[in-house]
Order: sequence, then structure tokens, then C-alpha cells
Amino acid sequence: MGSITALGIVLLILMIIVGGKQGVTSFLSMVVNFGILFFTIVLIAFHLPPIIVTIVSSVILLSITIFWSSASDNASTTAFQASVIILILIVVIIIPVEYWAQVGGFGLEDSEELEGLSTYVGINFTKVAIATAILSSLGAVAEAAIAISSGLDEIVTQHKEITSSQLFLDGTIIGKQIIGTAVNTLFFGFFGSSLALFIWFYGLNYSFGEILNDKVFAAELIAIVISLIGVVTTIPITTWIMSFKLKRLHKTQLKE
Amino acid sequence: MDTKLTSKMTWIQIILVIAFCFLAAFFCQHNDGLYRQPIFQVNRVENGKAVKMTDEFHNVDYYHSQKLYGQITNGTYAGKKFSINNSYSDSHAMDHEYKRGQKLFITLHTQPKLHATVKDMKRDAPIAFLFAIAISLLFVILKLRGVTVISSIVINTILFWIAVKIDHNNNGSAVILIFSILAVVFCFVTLLLVMGWSKKMLVTLSAVLCATAATILITLLVFAVTHERGVYYESMQYVTQLPKPLFIAEVLIGVLGAVMDEATDIIASLATLKQERPQLSKMDIFKSGRQIGKSIMGPLINVLFFIFMAETLPMTLLYLKNGNSWHYSFSMNMSLGMTSSLISGIGIVLTVILSSLFAGLWIKGDER
Repeated sequence: MGSITALGIVLLILMIIVGGKQGVTSFLSMVVNFGILFFTIVLIAFHLPPIIVTIVSSVILLSITIFWSSASDNASTTAFQASVIILILIVVIIIPVEYWAQVGGFGLEDSEELEGLSTYVGINFTKVAIATAILSSLGAVAEAAIAISSGLDEIVTQHKEITSSQLFLDGTIIGKQIIGTAVNTLFFGFFGSSLALFIWFYGLNYSFGEILNDKVFAAELIAIVISLIGVVTTIPITTWIMSFKLKRLHKTQLKE
Repeated sequence: MDTKLTSKMTWIQIILVIAFCFLAAFFCQHNDGLYRQPIFQVNRVENGKAVKMTDEFHNVDYYHSQKLYGQITNGTYAGKKFSINNSYSDSHAMDHEYKRGQKLFITLHTQPKLHATVKDMKRDAPIAFLFAIAISLLFVILKLRGVTVISSIVINTILFWIAVKIDHNNNGSAVILIFSILAVVFCFVTLLLVMGWSKKMLVTLSAVLCATAATILITLLVFAVTHERGVYYESMQYVTQLPKPLFIAEVLIGVLGAVMDEATDIIASLATLKQERPQLSKMDIFKSGRQIGKSIMGPLINVLFFIFMAETLPMTLLYLKNGNSWHYSFSMNMSLGMTSSLISGIGIVLTVILSSLFAGLWIKGDER
């Protein structure tokens, strides 16, 4: 048995112990997400337009992550709507930034790995970098949206009479608590995944300017900062959607 | 009245934010004097003809050559005008198409006469722009809390850099030890900033540390039992020292944020619960902790999954286009990302159990 299979089994068992049925669903959502991610890469390899393929699969990935979580119907619908809006926002910001920074493709640090590989494959790697940045932000955006909308949904169910402006204030307070720690998840993920790169920079005496302008580093940094932007904007957008829904609900109740 | 005030505030904020972002980018566009490397500004581009080329895997690409006219903007040769030849492919994998107005780092050759080759692009302006957006959003949306978040990032970055330095000075012989100590310091500093000095913080700290340590032990155990089959350390990128301990250290640091995030959520909620209903038994607290954890663990695992997996996309794509099978492309590029995701998943699930357990044991109703 391979290590990946063994680790997968350990994870599945632990998730069943903690979550029962929900544990199985969470595990499956990761497996299906992997399948979709790999399929996205294959489609790009077949020369389908990278950005469009990525946006379509991002919506599917977001819906799987959000609707297969244990959040209530109202919370997960709101979370999904909010995260799609944020996805659009991320796409709008990332496309000009990636073209401006030109971080697509591979850096000098990759030379050793590229040995024997043809890099003239006819796929625009700037677009691939855009796809990478969008995909790496999805998990963080989905998680933040679920956390905030679940919190708000809890408030709405407990205090049925709450006004939408009061809900907006509460949402901002809940959001602040959640985002403060969610940012750490992102940054430690970034530190962890680029530890080898940092050791490389230090070992080869890169100056601060060289690191900042380095293609590989810049690509990772852009991906993480765009996720950060996505996570932070989750607060107002999720809260706004939730209070909009509440307002509409109050209106229909008044009519009745 | 209230809404009027907030909307007015928001307009001023939006203008300030936009001004700040462009100012940051503008500063970086004109900071050439800060660099020691010569910088070349492109004033005019002459594009040559495109050449069609096909590689052995029937990938079609177009190769272009261009001549860049411009001048050096810093250093001893500032103001010198000349031209540089550049070539690029449509895929931009290892090359760039340069345009008018861009700034490039170049290598200058003075023999036999002044000429140069392009090294890389100057990228600080877009990065500063993006950073400015992120920082101003943090301040506008999180207000005072934004200061805590940013200072936590800054402090952790400095600590991280110090650990990298110590690791380098030891020639990478004690990676796991160094980064384990760093992990403890990271947790302490971050939790102190987020929760303040309290019993709740100590409970969270112990839950985080125990869960992380248990995760690493389980990982090593699984690796030993399966003889690390299917873990291709040789596919690790940018490795300058022994790959296995480096990989463990990477995962250790990578999972830490998620584990802290989760433990803080669970323990804070349980403390509030115990506060409101002090009659709840230890077992009840444990059970509600599991209930909370159950709903957050799935999305949280996906956060790290996407961070670890997405970055393998370009290289996997290149492998696929170079006639490799799906299986081989996966093994050489994505298997390590998958392994890290699974290990992080184990850490995240263990955190649910340990934080509920510790909260049940140590948190009493009368404290906050």
C-alpha cells in the first residue's frame, strides 16, 4: 500500500470518528475536488481557454465545498452566492495584475526541473498563472463565506425580529473574529509551501529587491495576497446578502 | 442618519484607498535608484517576424524576436541609450514579451562596447499595488483588528526569516527541531495577539501543540509502515538540503495556521457556552465541541488542499504536454501536494478532538 492511500485511510477513519456521516461527506468533497482540479488541468492541456475553464470549474468546486458542508440551507445558499461574487471580484483584479507582473511560467530556480522538458507547448503560461492564483484562493473564500453565513444564520434563527441594519452590524463583528484567524491559515499555508524556496533564497544570498522581483516568489505572493483580499471582502459581501434577504423576508411578512 | 454617516465615510475611504494603491504603485515605478542592478526602461519596440516551431510532441508554438530601444535609469550608466535583442515564444513559459514602458533588470557588458542582455522584469509595482489593496481593505473592513492581523503577519514573517537563517547556519542538519521550536513560538505569539493572555489562550495553545505533534508522529508512523511508497521526495522543488526533513517541516508550518484557526473557534465557542450554562458536564462540553468541529473541519481542509494543490498546476500541465501519462504527471508533481493535504487533514481532525477534550477538562464556567 502506498503512503498516500494509507494517509487517506487514516484521515477517513478520523473523520468518521469525529463527524460520522458528515465526516464521510467532507472526505468525499476533498476527493471529488481533486478529481475536478485534475480534470481542469487536463482540459487546459487540450488547449481549451484556461481562464474560462478555470472559472467554470471554480464555480463547481465552490458549490461542492459549500453545499457538502454541514451548514444549513439558508447559510450555504448565502455562502455560495457570496463566494461567486468574490470569485468574480478576484478574476477582475487578478487578470490585469498578472499581465502587469508577468509571473506566468517558470523561473530560473526551476531550470533543473525543466531539464529535458520542452517548454514551447503553445499554451499561454500567463493565463495558467491566472488559473493557479484563482484556484488557490477558492478554499479560503469558501471557508470564510461558510463561517460568516452560518454565524449570521444562527442569529437570524434565534432572533427572528432582528432588523437588517442590526444584522449588518452583527455580521461585521462576527466577521472580524473569524477573519482575524482565517488570515493565519492562509499565511502559514504560504510559509509552509514555500519554505524550501525561502531557504534557497537565503542560501544563495538573494537581496530583498531580488526576492521581491523574483518570478517564482512573486507568483506565490500574488496568489496568497489575492486570497487574502478574497477572504477579507467576504465579510461585507456575505453580510450584505444576508441582510438583503432578511429585508425581503420582512417585506413579504408585512404584506401577509 | 446613521446610514448617511457611514456612506459618507465610505466615500472618503474609497477615495483614500484608491489614492493609496496608486501611490504605492507609482512609488515602485520610480524607485530605480534603490536598486544596485542596472534597470533598463523600454521606450520603443521593434517586433520581428514570427517563426512557427513544432516540438517532438507535436506542440505548436510561435517564436518571435524583438528589438528593445530604451535607456538605463539608474547607476553609473544612467541615461545611456541603446538597444537589446530579445526573443519570446507565445507560451511565455521561460521568456517574456516586453512592451513599451516596462522596466527590466539587465546584465551590462562593457566589452567590447556597451551592450546588455535582459535578466528579468521589474515586478515590484504590481506587487506593491496588490499589497496596498489588501492592507487598505484590512483596515477599512476590520478597523482596529486589522492592526492586530497585520502585526501578527509581520512578526511571524520576521520569526520565519530568523528560523530560515538559523537553519542555513546549521547546514540543514536540524530542520525539524528548528521548525518545531519555531512552530511553538509562532503559536504563542499568534494566539497571544488574537486572544490575549488568559487561561483560554493557554488551553488553545496546548490543544494546538498537542494536535500538531500527534499529526507529525502519525505521519512518521505511516511513512515507516508503508516504506514511503509513492512519496517522491525527488519531485520536491527548490530543494537545497535533505528533502525528507524539509518536507516534514513544510507540512508542520503549513498546517499550523489552520489548526490555530480551528482551535480558537472551538475553544472560544465552548468557553461562551460554559459561561452561559455552567451546569454542563465535561462530557457535554466535549460533545458540543465535536459538533462545532464537525462542521468546520471539511471547509478548512479544503483551504489547505487548494493552496497545496493549485501551485502544482503549471508543472503538471507541462508534464502532460511533454507526452507523459496522467499517472506519471500526477506522481512527479501532485503527489507531494496530495500528501501534505492529507497530513494537514489529519491535523485538522485531531484538533477537533483535542480542543474539545481540553476545553471540557480545563475551562470552568466562572472564568472568561
